[in-house]
Amino acid sequence: MGWAARRIGVSLLLVWVVASIVFLAIHLVPGDPAELLLSSGGVAPDPGAVAELRDRLGLNLPLAQQYVSFLSGVVRGDLGTSLVDEYPVLDEILLRLPRTLELIAAGALIAVLVGIPAGTLAALRRGSAFDRIASGLAALLLAVPVFVVGTLLVLVFAQILRWMPAGGYVPLAEDPWRHLTLLALPALAIGKGLVAVVFRMTRASVLDALSRDFVRTARAKGLSPSRVLMRHVVRNALIPVLTVLALHMGTLLGGTVLVEYVFNWPGLSTPLLRAVEARDYPMVVGIVLTISALFVLLNLVMDLVYAALDPRIRHA
Amino acid sequence: MRPGTKRLWVPAGLVALIVLLALLAPLLGLPDPVRQDVAQRLAGPMPGSPLGRDEFGRDVLSRLIWGARSSLAVAFASASIACLFGTILGLLGGWFRGLGEFLAVRSMDIVLCFPPVLLALLVVTLLGPGAGTLIMVLSVLYLPGFVRVTYAEVLSARSHDYVEAVRALGASAGRILTRTVLPNVAGPILVQFSLAVASAVVLESGLSFLGLGVVPPAPSWGLMIRGARATMAQAPLLLLWPCLALTLTILAMNLLCDALRDAMDPRTATARPRLRLLDRVLPGLVPPAPNAEAPEAVLEVGGLTVEIATPRGPIRPVEDVSFAVHAGETLAIVGESGSGKSVTATSVMGLLPPAARPVAGAAWLEGRDLLRLPEPELRRLRGGAMAMVFQDPMSSLNPVHRVGDQIAEAIRAHRRGVTQAQAWSRAVDLLRRVGIADPERRARAYPHEMSGGMRQRVMIAMAVANEPKLLIADEPTTALDVTVQAQILDLLAELRRETGMALIFITHSLGVVAEIADRVVVMYAGQVVEQGSVPEVFGAPLHPYTRALLAAVPDGDAAPAGIPGVVPQPHAFPVGCRFAARCPHARPACEAAPPALEGAGEGRTVRCIRWAEIGAEKAEAVA
Repeated sequence: MGWAARRIGVSLLLVWVVASIVFLAIHLVPGDPAELLLSSGGVAPDPGAVAELRDRLGLNLPLAQQYVSFLSGVVRGDLGTSLVDEYPVLDEILLRLPRTLELIAAGALIAVLVGIPAGTLAALRRGSAFDRIASGLAALLLAVPVFVVGTLLVLVFAQILRWMPAGGYVPLAEDPWRHLTLLALPALAIGKGLVAVVFRMTRASVLDALSRDFVRTARAKGLSPSRVLMRHVVRNALIPVLTVLALHMGTLLGGTVLVEYVFNWPGLSTPLLRAVEARDYPMVVGIVLTISALFVLLNLVMDLVYAALDPRIRHA
Repeated sequence: MRPGTKRLWVPAGLVALIVLLALLAPLLGLPDPVRQDVAQRLAGPMPGSPLGRDEFGRDVLSRLIWGARSSLAVAFASASIACLFGTILGLLGGWFRGLGEFLAVRSMDIVLCFPPVLLALLVVTLLGPGAGTLIMVLSVLYLPGFVRVTYAEVLSARSHDYVEAVRALGASAGRILTRTVLPNVAGPILVQFSLAVASAVVLESGLSFLGLGVVPPAPSWGLMIRGARATMAQAPLLLLWPCLALTLTILAMNLLCDALRDAMDPRTATARPRLRLLDRVLPGLVPPAPNAEAPEAVLEVGGLTVEIATPRGPIRPVEDVSFAVHAGETLAIVGESGSGKSVTATSVMGLLPPAARPVAGAAWLEGRDLLRLPEPELRRLRGGAMAMVFQDPMSSLNPVHRVGDQIAEAIRAHRRGVTQAQAWSRAVDLLRRVGIADPERRARAYPHEMSGGMRQRVMIAMAVANEPKLLIADEPTTALDVTVQAQILDLLAELRRETGMALIFITHSLGVVAEIADRVVVMYAGQVVEQGSVPEVFGAPLHPYTRALLAAVPDGDAAPAGIPGVVPQPHAFPVGCRFAARCPHARPACEAAPPALEGAGEGRTVRCIRWAEIGAEKAEAVA
C-alpha cells in the first residue's frame, strides 16, 4: 500500500503547512495583538497592561521559539486557552464540532437520498418533463445563497406557519424529538445546495455511463433492466458523484457558519465568529486549524474510498 | 449562429441589465440610500419610494440598486485581480517549470486547503472588515482557478509543433506566451472569470450578512437581509426584495457561466441522442412468415430495414437485408465502414440505440420473430440462445467488476437457482475453456489488469456461457494485435465445431473471411449486394463491388487496387444502384432504378443489373 502511505504523508504535510501559515499570518500582520486586544473605542490602552499581556501570551519570545512551542502544542493536542474567558480551546472545539458535523451529515443525507435517485431518473428520462423541471429546480437551488434559504425557511415555517421552532439547540439525549425538529430546518438549508450538486453530477454521470460499451455488454448478457441500472450504470456513475459530494462537504466545514448563525445552532462557528470579533487569536487559530485538518482528512478518506470503488486507481 | 450561443443571450442580457443599473445608480435620480427618516420607519410603498422604507426609514429601491453597485464592485474587482495575477502566475509556472512552477502552481494547493468562508473569516480577523479586505480575500480565493487553467494551457501549448518551431527560430518567451498561448487560454479564462464573479457575489453577500463584509450604513444586499431579519414578522417584504435581487443576479450569472462553458467546449453542447434503457418494440406489423425452404436455419433475417431518426430527417442505414445462418455454420458479413453490418447485428440482438428502430422485415430465431418480441422475452434470449462479442473488449467490459463476476452474472441471469459459488466455478471453467492460463487467479482480475487478447477471450467466455445457438461476433479481432487475431479466430472456430452453434462473423477483412467462414454476405451502403458460399464468391465474384474488394486485398506480388470514392452517406443514398458512382461498369440504366437482388445459381444472390453481362465479358477476356 505504498500509494496510500504516500497519500497520507502528503496530507500530513499539508496540515503542517496550513498550521504554519495560520501562525505566521497572525504574527506577521502589522499590529500588536496585545495592544489590539486591550484597546477599545479608539482609546490607547495602558502600556503597563499591554506589556503584561505580551508577557503572558509569550509574545516577547523570539518568533522561532513561539513557533516551536505552538507546533509542539498542536502535536500534543494543546491548542491553548481563549484570551476572553481562559477556557481551553480544545475543549470548546470538542464540545461543538460534533454539532457542526451532525448538521453536515444530515444535509449530506438529504442530498444523497434526494439527489441520486432524482439525478438517475432525470438521466433515464432525458428531455422529459421531469428532467426539465428537476434541472431547472437544481439551477434555482444553486443560485439561492444558503443564508437566504435559511432566512426564508425561518420566515415561512417559524414565523408564518408556526410549524417549526425558529432555531436553537437541545441535546439529543435530553429530548430526541425536539432535537430533530430543531435539526430539520438547518439541515434542509445545508442540504439545498448539496442536493442540486449531487443531482447535476448524478445526471451527467449516469448519462455518460449509459452510453458506455459495457452497458451494452450487460444488456447483451440478458440482464434485467434493474440489474443493468444498479450494477453497471449507477455503480460506475457513483464514483464522480461521491468525489463531488465529498469536496462540497469539505467546503461546508467552514460554510455552515451562515446556517448556524441563522438558526442559532451552537456549532463551531459561534465561537469562531465571537473570536473573530474579539480577536481571540488562540480560538481562531484552533478552529481554523481543526477545520482545515478535517478538510484535508476528508479529501484523504475520499481518495481511499475512491480507490476502493475504482480498482484502476490503485494501480495508477 | 451555433446552437449553443442562443442560450447565451437571455442570461447575458439579464446580467448586462443588472450591471448597467449598478453603473448608472448615481444618474437615476434615486433618493439617498443612506439618509435615515425614522418617521417613515417600515413604511409601505409611497410616492418616491415604490418599494417602501426600511427599518431606518431609508428608501428600499434605492438601497437595492446601490447595493447591486457595491456587490458587483467587490465581485468584479476581486475577479479581475485574481484573473490578472492568476494568469501571470500560470504563464510563468508553465513556461519556466522548475522552482517557478513549484512556487506558482503547487502553492495554490495550500489555498485550496482552507474552506473558502473560513479563509475569509481568518483574514477579516486579521485585517478587520471592509470592502478592501473583502476584495483581497476573494481575489486570493479565486487565484488557484486562474493559475490552473493558464498553467494547463501553457503546458499543452509547449508541446505543440508550432510553438516548438517558433522557439527554434529564437522567438523570446514573452513573445511566444503573448502571441500563441494567451489567445488559446482566453476562452477558459473568460469562463473562469464569470464563475469567480458569480461566486464572489455569493460570498460577499454572505460575509456582509454576518456583519463582516461591507460596513454599514453602506447599502449591500447581505446587510439588507441582515437588517430585515429583525423585523421580518412586521415587514416580510423587506426581507423578500434583497433575497429576490440576490437570487436573480446569481441565477443569471450561473446560467451565463453554463452557457459560456458550453460555447467554449463544443463537446458538452452537442446534443447526444436520447438514451433509454428499454428499447421500443417494433410496431405490430404483420410479420412475414419464415421461409419454408430453409426450416433448419438457426437465424433467418428477411427484408430487415432499420430507420434512424436524425435532426436531418429519418435515414435508413440498413435496407431490405436478408440472410440465413444454419447450425454449425459460419456466416461472414463483409463490407466497408458504414455499410450497415453492425446495425444489422445489433437490431437482431435488440440492442439498437433508441433513436433507431426496425421498420420492416423479420428476424426469426427458433421460430420467434426477434424484432417483434417484447423486451422481457428478448432479454431471456440475449445472452442465452443468442450472444454477441463486441469489437473493443476494453470498453465492453465493466472496469469496476472482476471478470469472473461479470461472467458469473451472465450465467445467473439465465439460470434460476444457480448460486454465486456455482456460477463462479463455472466462470473459471469457461475461462479455462477459452484458453486462459491459471483461470482461478485470472477470474479475480479486473479488466485493466489483462491484455487485449485475454480480455477478448473473457468476452467470448461470457458470450458462450449459456451455450448459445447463435453467436454474433462484431469485428472481434479489429482492436487486437495481428498475432492475437489468429488465436482468437482459432478459438471461435473451435468453439463452433464443438458446440455446433451458428456463428455470424462481422468483418471488413476478406482475409479473415477466407479463413473462417463457410458462406459470405457482402454488404454495401445498407444493402446486401452479393451472397454465396465462400469458395464460389471468392472464386468467381459476380458483383463489381465484391470484385473491387477482392482486388483491394494485398495478394503476393500484385499491388492491391484501391476502390475510388467513398461509401455514400445514408442521407445521400442514390435512387439507383448505390455503387454506381464508384463502379467501372456503370451504365446510365444503373442509376435509373434500384436494382433487385437476383438469384444466381444455388444459394447465390447478387444485386446488379449487369452481372451476367459483366461475367460474360470477363470470361471472354480470359479466353
